[in-house]
Amino acid sequence: MIYLLSHTITDSARRFPDRAAFRFGKVSLTYREMEQRMNQLAGVLHTLNIKKGDRIGIYLNRSIETAIAIFGILQAGGVYVPIDPKAPITRSQFLIEDCEIEILITQPVQGKKVSQIIKDKNNIRTVIGLPETEGVKTISWESVFAASAAFDLPFRILEKDLAYIIYTSGSTGQPKGIMHTHYSGLSYARLTAELYQITEQDRIGNHAPIHFDISTLGYFTSPLVGACTVIASDAVTVFPATLGKLIAEEALTIWYSVPLALIQILQNGVLADQALPHLRWVLYAGEPFPPKYLRTLMQQWSATRFSNVYGPTETNACTYYHLPEIPITDDPIPIGQVWKNTDYLILDEEGKEAAPGMTGELLICSATQMLGYWRNPALTEKSLHSVLAATGQASAFYKTGDLVKEEDGILHFLGRKDFQVKIRGHRVELGAIEACLVAHASVREAAVYTVRIAEESLKIVAAVILAADSEESVNNLLYFLKEKLPLYAVPEEIKIVKDFPRTSSGKIKRGALVAAL
Amino acid sequence: MLEQRIINYILEELHGGQSDLKILPEDDLLGSGLVESMGMMRLIQFIEDDNGIKVSPQDMTIENFMTVAAMVDYIGRSKPNG
Repeated sequence: MIYLLSHTITDSARRFPDRAAFRFGKVSLTYREMEQRMNQLAGVLHTLNIKKGDRIGIYLNRSIETAIAIFGILQAGGVYVPIDPKAPITRSQFLIEDCEIEILITQPVQGKKVSQIIKDKNNIRTVIGLPETEGVKTISWESVFAASAAFDLPFRILEKDLAYIIYTSGSTGQPKGIMHTHYSGLSYARLTAELYQITEQDRIGNHAPIHFDISTLGYFTSPLVGACTVIASDAVTVFPATLGKLIAEEALTIWYSVPLALIQILQNGVLADQALPHLRWVLYAGEPFPPKYLRTLMQQWSATRFSNVYGPTETNACTYYHLPEIPITDDPIPIGQVWKNTDYLILDEEGKEAAPGMTGELLICSATQMLGYWRNPALTEKSLHSVLAATGQASAFYKTGDLVKEEDGILHFLGRKDFQVKIRGHRVELGAIEACLVAHASVREAAVYTVRIAEESLKIVAAVILAADSEESVNNLLYFLKEKLPLYAVPEEIKIVKDFPRTSSGKIKRGALVAAL
Repeated sequence: MLEQRIINYILEELHGGQSDLKILPEDDLLGSGLVESMGMMRLIQFIEDDNGIKVSPQDMTIENFMTVAAMVDYIGRSKPNG
């Protein structure tokens, strides 16, 4: 019976021993090999006397080792905590301290940064994946792969036990650790496997780094059904031509990423003549996909189906919308409907259920829901809304902070609750202004924010990246907006910029953007 | 020499002249985080200006830009009569 995430590997190793489980560049591991390496790493972790639920950091770029690290840790009864090697050293140190991480798994290429991390903070007692390093015990990957693959877990793990913690930037400074269990991870795997009919025949392109939950399709769903996950390297994100080639040459059947990765391929025109007969599904999440780009992509990949996946990390994912046809208008794409084993509420400002068709905050109660925030019961409680059933049993709904409205059973995303501002008494959705700007042919990307000009007064400012070779004037853009938006929602200023500060998953860092302009 | 000019650009322009960094021609620039995605775009711009070449989107691949050595090799192949 599969009730732990690591069981997916053991089970597929029994059913499909010689099928490829994970691929990265020229390296490929079958399920049999994957099971062996997972057990070798788990055994090594137990020589370090780890206890049930110990947090172990993964400090790796996308690579075959990320898969081994995830499953080795889970198999050993530990909890994996992804630490982004691209993040500032101080943030990595914060995570290590906050989660009390004593063992770090990495690669020689990160040697310099790991030395910096452990220089000031000595929480870390062992580093796996480095040659000898000053001031800390190290175990090389070579010796992990020379270790015995036989080991017995000295304690029992249950499906409700913790499996991983993903940190996200809280809107107020400190990153917060989102705790997920084996159950929430497997629930996600089962739901997506059914929804997208994923089988051992599939080849899933994994573009997301592991600190971003889009990665769980490749790491959880794929081994559940015995499919192959092709891990795209970090460099693929930088070079769109390489990404297009990867989808074609690896005969990927499913692609899942943030829209930006796909938009980049389009803008570089590197897909023009590429036929992708294998690609069944394109899934995207993380940010809205501007319809003008989606339209072009769907025309080029006419045999592929597209699905908009929505969900905050606290629920992994919870809604989906399969695009029924190529979008004709520039209206934002709906987030669709909640998937199975998931309940939802739409609450108005007073906490009452919003009337049909009216805007309200989306609340989710699902099998894929987090256990809570790491060592922050106050924040966990604040994020939940309790609903008492007639049986006396309480259900905790997670408050997403996202505004939606429901029309004919389809949910429409309207923006973040805290992204809604009041301008001269009018309620304005900054996201709607962005969507409007991006609909303009000369605009590649837009970010809209507010600047306080007096105690009670805000002004709207838009930062815009123009399409390549465009010399569109600010006045023309303002004129364009004035035709589409009420006057109070038209930005008072538009700044043309070359790029936005971004997170490593490609999302716009809004705080940094406002500070920079 | 070309190789050193590229290394200097990374050190001076992308790292603001941080002195304790050392870059070898074989270092995996993106993998190690020595160069970020925005930095890579600036670096490619520099290579274009410095060598009078234009890097086409089709040529922007890992193979051509993973290391300083690969870049030098690519530039050699791209220069007219080179």
